Amino acid sequence: MAKVLMIHPDKCTGCRNCELACSFEHEGQFRPGASRVQAYTWEREGMSVPMMCQQCDDAACVTVCPTGAMHRSNALANLVDWDAGTCIRCKMCTIACPFGNARYDAASSSIFKCDTCQGAPECVTFCPNGALEFVDDEQHVRSRKKAYAAKFKDAFQEVS
Amino acid sequence: MTVKYFATIRTYAGETERRIDDAPAGMRELLTSLAARYGTAFRRAVFSGDQLSGEIIILVNGRNVVHLEGLDTPLEAGDEVSIFPMVAGG
Amino acid sequence: MFGWTGTILRIDLTKGKVSREATDPQLARDYLGARGLGGHIVRSEVDPKTDALGADNKIVFAPGPLTGTFAPAAGRFDVVTKGPLNGVLAASNSGGTFGPELKYAGYDALIIEGKSAKPVYLWIKDDQVEIRDAAALWGHTTPDTTDLVRAETDEDAKVSCIGPAGEHLSLIANIMNEMHRAAGRTGVGAVMGSKNLKAVAVFGSGAVKVADPEGFKAAVMKARQMIQAHPVGGTGLRAYGTDVLVNILNQSGALPTRNFQDGYFPTADKTGGESLAAKQLIRPKGCFSCIISCGRVTKVDSPDYKGSGEGPEYETAWAFGADCGIDDLDAITKANYYCNEYGLDTISMGSTVACAMELFERGIITTEDTDGVQLTFGNTAAMVEMVHKTGKGEGFGAKLAQGSYRLAESYGHPEYSMTCKKQEMPAYDPRGVQGIGLNYATGNRGGCHVRGYTIAIEVLQNGAVMDPHVTDDKAGLGITFQDLTAALDSSGACLFATFGIGGAELTEMLAALTGVDYTLDEFMRIGERIWNQERLWNLTAGFTKADDALPQRLLTEPIKTGPSKGHVSRLDDMLPEYYELRGWDEEGVPTEAKLKELAL
Repeated sequence: MAKVLMIHPDKCTGCRNCELACSFEHEGQFRPGASRVQAYTWEREGMSVPMMCQQCDDAACVTVCPTGAMHRSNALANLVDWDAGTCIRCKMCTIACPFGNARYDAASSSIFKCDTCQGAPECVTFCPNGALEFVDDEQHVRSRKKAYAAKFKDAFQEVS
Repeated sequence: MTVKYFATIRTYAGETERRIDDAPAGMRELLTSLAARYGTAFRRAVFSGDQLSGEIIILVNGRNVVHLEGLDTPLEAGDEVSIFPMVAGG
Repeated sequence: MFGWTGTILRIDLTKGKVSREATDPQLARDYLGARGLGGHIVRSEVDPKTDALGADNKIVFAPGPLTGTFAPAAGRFDVVTKGPLNGVLAASNSGGTFGPELKYAGYDALIIEGKSAKPVYLWIKDDQVEIRDAAALWGHTTPDTTDLVRAETDEDAKVSCIGPAGEHLSLIANIMNEMHRAAGRTGVGAVMGSKNLKAVAVFGSGAVKVADPEGFKAAVMKARQMIQAHPVGGTGLRAYGTDVLVNILNQSGALPTRNFQDGYFPTADKTGGESLAAKQLIRPKGCFSCIISCGRVTKVDSPDYKGSGEGPEYETAWAFGADCGIDDLDAITKANYYCNEYGLDTISMGSTVACAMELFERGIITTEDTDGVQLTFGNTAAMVEMVHKTGKGEGFGAKLAQGSYRLAESYGHPEYSMTCKKQEMPAYDPRGVQGIGLNYATGNRGGCHVRGYTIAIEVLQNGAVMDPHVTDDKAGLGITFQDLTAALDSSGACLFATFGIGGAELTEMLAALTGVDYTLDEFMRIGERIWNQERLWNLTAGFTKADDALPQRLLTEPIKTGPSKGHVSRLDDMLPEYYELRGWDEEGVPTEAKLKELAL
């Protein structure tokens, strides 16, 4: 069964443990600038939202990549993977991604995008709030639909 | 006597305080009867086996029962008992 | 270096000069960072007798070695300077994300010296440092300043700034970080104001490097699990915030009420964490790398006090609540928002209003002094208005802005100021909890709860339990807490991590991160060294044994109602033992042998 990284902004406290875990896993040091996930905070509203690659089925970064470095993974379903060896650092993927989720890092001459730590995302392990989940791709839709249905249920219970 | 509940204990009890006209003889009797009234979550919060849980703070007239006689602390009709989970801050 | 960046940034505002120097590895080892290393810098470079608001004072922003890593709740930094409220070697600890950003920009400390001729702010983007004109920022609140600075620098810059209170040199002014997190106490905001420094903005793209990545990760995972399994660190603080303490302190008879005239407030429950969670809480908030999330994102719906922001913490809810005889949580939270916007310390602000209320009720001051306001205990609207006046420094607010000691003294009645070393005491009555009184009296920055939080043992049963009404062994307890906290603050960790872990876990993380073979023994010795460093500096500044004191009220006026009725503080039973265990002489001066032992 394929899995997806799911975000719950309502549970995010803006602590950025996800960024720290990501940069530590990929770079062996703490450099949020190298993290593939970013948790943005709006202090006035008291809201935080984590952002990372959506692993699009019809991925713009894959479409524009001239060398095939950005490709759908053979090993893992629901993963758009990046191959450093075939990449020519043209940065077309960073321009094409509508979410800004592929970035070029000059310090390491790399494209930074979420690779789900090859199926075991460290950001999920380190999130203390349950704001990030790595779940079955069908289940996440069902859960969300059911959660919304529960709100209807509560509303109808109130009036009936 | 009056028993007051705080933080999660208030949630388990479903009320903030309760007046008890027939004061039980001691803390063990009081907590046993309250556990019977409020159920499992409350019982688990206050008892560890048949001992007082290490994660509960019970004050009798402001004194922690740890400094009195624990579960054997005698109670009187006019006492005020306050039940807290472990809390902190600063 | 690992853990440390190896570089200290120095900015001279008089000359407009920027320079860098290497972090001394031996000093880093012996003082860690933050409060310890920053304290060492101030001790070495600032004359203890200098004017805190003069050009010769310096202000140091310093994160710790753990800051910027995923050690749990370890994203903190200290602002270290000579504190203008009372002249101590001040260290104000703050969370938020400013400290980690300074590390990523490449610095173990930022030293600011001299004085700018006109308002400026600093823009630090890695190794590019600019001193920029701040004329357009002057007068703005802390949230507006933050937005304006970001618009001129980088939308993701982390901003530490003062509000109007710091600008008009209020001695209870804070420095605010990312709008809601405060470096408070001792009036550090006024030091920035005195230097014409409105804000410091930082953006960093660098890294904190780790000596033993596998070992560090293992130590961090262990510490995380211990905190998450703890009833307080794991669930309690997230659910109710620190304000959950209102009820347990009140039910213990140790909630100072109406300017410490009593120790019990009958309607305190209306101001506690349970009420806050039910009425105002939107969601919990975490500082950088926090797994506890005690922060409160809140809103107030009532028309009189409508607003949104963060807070209140327990101390704030008490200062504007029980201490002012007020049980309206909406007004308390609104007062908290205003303090954050003006950049005011909530403890000192609330306690100073409470002091003014007592002066008013005793007829020492009248409506002629208070700009026509009936400043009685329980007058909610008057309390909020006093915060406004203080923030602006207008009318009676200009007097409140100097703190309760100078206020009460100016009317000939310093005995109504509830302060130690001129700093307002926080929310635990020393008559109901003996050990905390010893900590207020000996606190190196004056009345303060986060220098030796014996409440954890005396009231909260955290790990061990001691009777709050007993004075036996409280000297030793206080010393252990003071030393542990000094080392913990200097490491970059949050005090609340101790609701789950202790010195052993912190030592393990520090050793794996830095590659220094720290032991628990050395860690505690570092804490003791830092405590003695602060003591030495204060003694040179002019403090004596006579300043290790509590307000007379707490020694002679028993609590009137509630569970601690009849009790007074028995400070004199504890203080001589404290000096002896500290290795200090009868005058409270560290002995030569002790200084040698600590390599001071």
